Amino acid sequence: MTFRSTKAFVPVALLAAAIAAANASSQQISKAVKAVQLTGLPGIKENAKGILSVENGNLHFVHGKAISDLSASLIQDVVTGSDSQKAVGKTVGVISTAAPYGGGRFLSLFRSKIDTLTVEYRDADGAFHGAIFTMPVGTAEEIKKELIAQGAHTSSSASADKEQKQ
Amino acid sequence: MKLLAKVGALLCISVMFSSGHALCDGKNQPSKIKAGAIQVAMIESDETSVPAEFRVALYENLIRQLEKRGFQSVYRDGDRNAASVANLVVLHSTVRRFKRGSEEARQVTTVAGATSISVHCQFTNADGQTLLERDVTGKVRFFGGNLRATYDFAKRASRIAHENLSGADSK
Repeated sequence: MTFRSTKAFVPVALLAAAIAAANASSQQISKAVKAVQLTGLPGIKENAKGILSVENGNLHFVHGKAISDLSASLIQDVVTGSDSQKAVGKTVGVISTAAPYGGGRFLSLFRSKIDTLTVEYRDADGAFHGAIFTMPVGTAEEIKKELIAQGAHTSSSASADKEQKQ
Repeated sequence: MKLLAKVGALLCISVMFSSGHALCDGKNQPSKIKAGAIQVAMIESDETSVPAEFRVALYENLIRQLEKRGFQSVYRDGDRNAASVANLVVLHSTVRRFKRGSEEARQVTTVAGATSISVHCQFTNADGQTLLERDVTGKVRFFGGNLRATYDFAKRASRIAHENLSGADSK
């Protein structure tokens, strides 16, 4: 009796697993990264920290309760770049400039590398917009690839982006 | 009595001079260009190579600063709603010179590592006729990242627009 019921349960479990896998692949959710939106997304203030991901054909940015979705098909250009930022925070960094014996200057030598992601798009009225994000080094290229896979356009190849970084 | 007459005469003369001066001031003030709305065209760069993030930051900051200066209608490049606006002024910006500095060098040395951008701004009407041309620079010398130069440029360019175009509220 038990063996028979287990036997019947196996195909059902397999079917459920197959459906779940198909669902997951159709949602196409990329790895979410911590990012800072410097400018450009409507409804999100400048220098907003949040989570950036590519979900269901959209560039998805969440900052607190504010959520912004930008359709990948509207994106005309995606470009990655690189920059660096102070390892010591903003307020502390500014206060440290007053430190004696050049202590503040010494602190500003400690810097961390970051990636930049620039997205250019047009809205429903045809108006041109641009958005800039910064994120941990090595993550911008992944987001760019994901966006291109989901319908975004780009004017620069990965090699051109590397040249720009240098 | 004589003294009173003298004081009165002096007062009359001073009033005449001051009113005359005020009238002259009114005549010397350049008339502003009538602008029903302003449209910001995409940032161009003819010979200089400008990174995408700087181009976008220039454009977005320019729009934000124009709105802050009191321009009621600021249209973006390609906006179809701008086509029907009377007295539309289009702002074309071309980057002439770009030098990317280093925030690290700025903070360590305080004299080196400045980022600077020189942009040729051309205000035209909807037919492309030039109304005003200026070269505007944006710099960051001490505090802030390299992109802060684009904010500096936007503030200066919007001030020029505010001084020369009539579409802005007095702010």
